[in-house]
Amino acid sequence: MTSAGVHQLFVNIATVGGPSTWIAPPDPKTLAITLLVSVLLFAIGLVGFLTRRNMIMMFLCTELMLQAAALAFVGFGRMHMDVSGQVFVIFILTVAAAEAALALGLVVLLYRKRETLSSEAWSELREDVK
Amino acid sequence: MPPSLSLFAPYGLYIAGAIGAVGLFLLMRPAAARGQMPVRALGAIIGLAGFGLLVVEVLSRIPDVGGVPVFPTLLGLIAVAAATRMVTHNKPVFAALYFIMVVVSSAGLFLTLHAEFMAFALIIVYAGAILITYMFVLMLAQQTPSGGDVEGGTQYDRLPREPVPALAVGFIMLATLSDALFVQSPELRAEASSAQLADAARAQWTALELMPKRIEREVRRIEPATQAIQRGDGGRLLDVTADGRATVRVMVAGDNGSSQPRDVELPASAMPTNTQLVGLALVNSYPASLELASVILLMAMFGAVVLARKQAELGEDERRDAAGMRRMSLDDPDMSRGGRA
Repeated sequence: MTSAGVHQLFVNIATVGGPSTWIAPPDPKTLAITLLVSVLLFAIGLVGFLTRRNMIMMFLCTELMLQAAALAFVGFGRMHMDVSGQVFVIFILTVAAAEAALALGLVVLLYRKRETLSSEAWSELREDVK
Repeated sequence: MPPSLSLFAPYGLYIAGAIGAVGLFLLMRPAAARGQMPVRALGAIIGLAGFGLLVVEVLSRIPDVGGVPVFPTLLGLIAVAAATRMVTHNKPVFAALYFIMVVVSSAGLFLTLHAEFMAFALIIVYAGAILITYMFVLMLAQQTPSGGDVEGGTQYDRLPREPVPALAVGFIMLATLSDALFVQSPELRAEASSAQLADAARAQWTALELMPKRIEREVRRIEPATQAIQRGDGGRLLDVTADGRATVRVMVAGDNGSSQPRDVELPASAMPTNTQLVGLALVNSYPASLELASVILLMAMFGAVVLARKQAELGEDERRDAAGMRRMSLDDPDMSRGGRA
């Protein structure tokens, strides 16, 4: 594909919901699909967080849920034709970066102690359920 | 209004979600051995059917305005499929790569929503920075495969923990959220009214008011003979009407060297771009949050350094120093009384 073709593809994608100005009225169907994808990503991330045993995978699933929240923010921002939703995505990115740094530091620390990434290696931390 | 196209109204959304949950459950099963029924392929087909039904259900609740949005649906399908594969993949490294796919396709969705800046910022920050950190730690904490490890992945990566309760929780979350979004809130399905559009246009012109250089550039493009821009009431450059149009009063060079006033109406293309609006909102409306974000990043950096640092073994002398005690030495007369300072 030529560079002009690639550019045209981007223009096509970016103008699905109308002309390429922010002021163009939002397309309710595009919004609905975005929100549906956001809901699905959140649910899948939740299921992944509950079912995976690998600690890194659990944190990756929280990132998936953050991603779903970002999609919902941008979708609702488009619905109200307001950029505040996108500004909040910047803060989500900040929190995700902070979480990645801290969580992965913690995972490395835990891995050094037990030589495994399985969260069940630390199951004695929970209270014993009789 | 009850949708006409909906298949199992009014429970279509929940049925579609339940079908998707069944598909995800089958996808979580361990890969089938040769000759057995391919459970995972079956799960993929059922999950795809669930996604298709959900899309039909959601779109059928919206009054018809144009056809099915092709790009958002395709990008959404890629995102959901990659997320599913990420959650079910045995090898964490591949799961992280699938997460990059989720990020890229949701950046595509951002493009369809006219959020161009966030789309590319997402790719740079998420796919470029955060995921690289994940990959780095995955490589660092790589498990050495122990005996009988053929299909790849360690024991704890192959077997999901309690999939049925987890899927029940996920299904309830899906049903609640989709009910709140697609059943309970009719304003989501309505098209924007002309009053809303005019409000949004006025908000855009208000933002442009803070960019005098851009106003001047746009005015000079329309009226090259502009000598000066005149400010109106309250020192405003733009005169915005209630229906969302903006005019600028400029002084134009006349025939005989004199200058005369003229009103220039700005076209919609003069409105600030998405990147300009995001930047303006960030520093104009949320400056305190911006500062807090930088503090959060700084604290996270300190925290990561403290957590990941190798714990240094302290010698006897250092431990006594840290406790505020005198170092032990043989010719210390206080040693006979326990060495306390």
